[in-house]
Amino acid sequence: MLDYLIKRMGQVIVVLFLALTTVFFIIRLSGDPTALFLPPDAPREQLEEFRKTLGFDRPLYVQYTEFIMNAVQGDFGNSLRTREDALQMVLDRIPATFQLAFTSLGLSLLIALPIGILSAYKRNTLLDQTGVAFTVLGQALPSFWLGLILIYLFAVQLKWLPTGGGGSLIHLILPAMTLAAYSVARFARFTRSTMLDVLRKDYIRTAKASGVPTYKILSVYALKNTLIPIITLVALDLGVLLGGAVIVEAVFSWPGMGRLLMQSLLNRDFPVVMAGVFLIAFIYSVMNFVVDVLYAYVNPQIRFK
Amino acid sequence: MLRKNRMLLVLLLLFAVFLTACTPETAGTAPTTSQPAGQPATSTESPAAPSQELIIGFEADAATMLANTDVNYVTDIQIRNIYDPLIDRDEKGALIPSLATEWKNLDPLTWEIKLREGVTFTNGEPFNAEAVKFNIDYILDEKNNSFYRSRWKDIKEVKVIDDNTVHVITSQPFPTLLLRITDDLLIMAPKHTQEVGLEKAAMNPVGTGAYKFEKWTRDDSLKLVANEDYWQGPPTIKQLTFKIIPEFSARLSAFLSGEIHLFKNVPVDSVERVKNSENGTIAMVGSSRINYLALNTFYDGPLKDKRVRQALNYAIDVDELLNSVLNGNGTKMTGPLSKVNVDYTETKDYGYDPDKAIALLKEAGIDPKSLKLQLDTPNGRYPMDTHVAQAIASQLQKIGIQVNVQANEWGNHLAKIRQHEMKDMFILGWGPAFDAQGTIENLFTEKAPYSGFYDKDVEAMIQKALPVFDPAERKKAFDDLQHRLVDEAAWVPLWQQGDLYAVSKNLQFTPRPDEKFLVFEMKWNQ
Repeated sequence: MLDYLIKRMGQVIVVLFLALTTVFFIIRLSGDPTALFLPPDAPREQLEEFRKTLGFDRPLYVQYTEFIMNAVQGDFGNSLRTREDALQMVLDRIPATFQLAFTSLGLSLLIALPIGILSAYKRNTLLDQTGVAFTVLGQALPSFWLGLILIYLFAVQLKWLPTGGGGSLIHLILPAMTLAAYSVARFARFTRSTMLDVLRKDYIRTAKASGVPTYKILSVYALKNTLIPIITLVALDLGVLLGGAVIVEAVFSWPGMGRLLMQSLLNRDFPVVMAGVFLIAFIYSVMNFVVDVLYAYVNPQIRFK
Repeated sequence: MLRKNRMLLVLLLLFAVFLTACTPETAGTAPTTSQPAGQPATSTESPAAPSQELIIGFEADAATMLANTDVNYVTDIQIRNIYDPLIDRDEKGALIPSLATEWKNLDPLTWEIKLREGVTFTNGEPFNAEAVKFNIDYILDEKNNSFYRSRWKDIKEVKVIDDNTVHVITSQPFPTLLLRITDDLLIMAPKHTQEVGLEKAAMNPVGTGAYKFEKWTRDDSLKLVANEDYWQGPPTIKQLTFKIIPEFSARLSAFLSGEIHLFKNVPVDSVERVKNSENGTIAMVGSSRINYLALNTFYDGPLKDKRVRQALNYAIDVDELLNSVLNGNGTKMTGPLSKVNVDYTETKDYGYDPDKAIALLKEAGIDPKSLKLQLDTPNGRYPMDTHVAQAIASQLQKIGIQVNVQANEWGNHLAKIRQHEMKDMFILGWGPAFDAQGTIENLFTEKAPYSGFYDKDVEAMIQKALPVFDPAERKKAFDDLQHRLVDEAAWVPLWQQGDLYAVSKNLQFTPRPDEKFLVFEMKWNQ
């Protein structure tokens, strides 16, 4: 088990390293940041001077080595725009992003599980098809568009909810709904197919034959076994939710990490972008790591593969 | 088969229900709203209590609360309610006293500025000559890495003469110093800034302005409250919030639902929606910001020939672009400066004359039908920019010129200009542009980063004009330059941007050509 842990941890480090390296070079292809910060009437000499101050005049490999050496110590430098610590800026946004991601995850499970279970149980009925159609629709709508429509409906017309911003639970409802729409489809369809498999199992038939009530078969006997693969999907989806939040955060002016990254990317605020990429890659790999370890713990076969 | 069809049907049905739910008829956009008028659901919308909080929707957060640091207008516009300038502009753009009461030249290298007496910062510190010196020194100090520094490099020293008098000594004649003081310099409380340190002052600003800092939530909002002891009298709007809403559609929604009362840059195609809304109206002002089509002479192409550039001026119908693409929201320009520019002089208007364009091209030995040009435009930076580019392309197509339109992300667009990678033509905006030097020195000289034009003789004229100190002589030099640049057809001048604001009907707001939101000037209707 320990060997396996060490091996997987090594993989996490390699993934982080590769992610940072790739982004470091790609982002530098996107152009020089200096000019976006100085006034447009700044003469060329000052642009050069500023480049020098920031160290952008040095060869790329020197900049890269320095970046990696500092990054290992958790130092991503200061934001070019606000002059604050880049990693801290991103960390400050994590709670808002997590709040949104977890709420929408909870929301989508809350909607998807019953739909999936009922669809499986009542398969090929109108109920099943409506459920599937509903979820497919959710997946097909671009979140940008869906977000705007929800704003228009609930905020502009009905005036029940605010159009955007952060701070309270009321502000969370629309963005969480928008973000959930996509995951609901995935979860519901996955639950449905897994549930169908499980319902065909012998022990369910036995349970049925011995007169266990339907709700109990579904919610206790079948659901438990259905949940195992879903947990994996949830863990992976959380990564997608964190990444997909970029657009939703922008539409709803949600002060999260995605918006900060997007803005920093457009401003060529390299240190903030790098710190953000690092954090996302870190969260994603750690989540996968935890799931793998849990799996290995549950299923010894995996450890020896 | 049957099953599949049924599923498709259900899907379509669901989609139809969803769409109907979103159409204006059922949701009630037009007069038939579900809310009876005058009975708003949210308190922010209630009609005009004078003490009501003003919420301005704004596209981006300030980078810092420190003055004199970040040159971006999103920062400047917000903090200008906290800090005062020494010299301000009136609604026409002319310079008026603010914290400075008088200014004059003692000699070409020395400026004397008299300061207003009896003004204090909101923390009780007195405003005086030391404060002015502190703030100019702040810009000049390399350690502070102020993005304004390049503009102030000719300052040698700031001398405190007495409590209310400073002398600004420059290392060479600095005829645009007053403009720098007006547009760049804001006065921070020196003691406070030094005591708490820059890092903390960046989060907790103290100025002499009409509003006091209350709370700044990054990327969410900036809250300010009225400074009741303001030297111009207490502001009538007591609470002010800048709410950061990056997405335009979301900003519009927030406005329509009454969550915000004011925002800038309404896209031309959304003007009607604001006008038709219950509580909104549109205010427009000719901004000092100009949009133009640069005819790039740094690229080794046909546009190096003056006749070809002139031909393009004849072949592009700016009035038509203005009317059809921008719905008239802009003011046509004929030369490099707009009418709000203090140094403006009337120049020749090429007008629309495709025959003349063809004749000029023939004279230059070019068959218009074989001419292929590239036009670069930013995407979403200026009103309808890519549409303008497409329309220009189709106008040129009429005389046979083929134009390839290339839309660039903003950062790349700038980089291409700076690195002289632009091809024949590019669209660019420039502003705030209140003086000739700021425009002409930066856009028509060989070394300036965003220049698209260079001519040896013109360059000599510019270099000769820059240090001229005598106002009449200076005016003459820049008038000549404007005529010369029009004759050289360095650009196809387009327009002075029309700034469109969505304004709550309850708010008395007059938009300014310098794009500022000075909330002290605003009032609620009683």
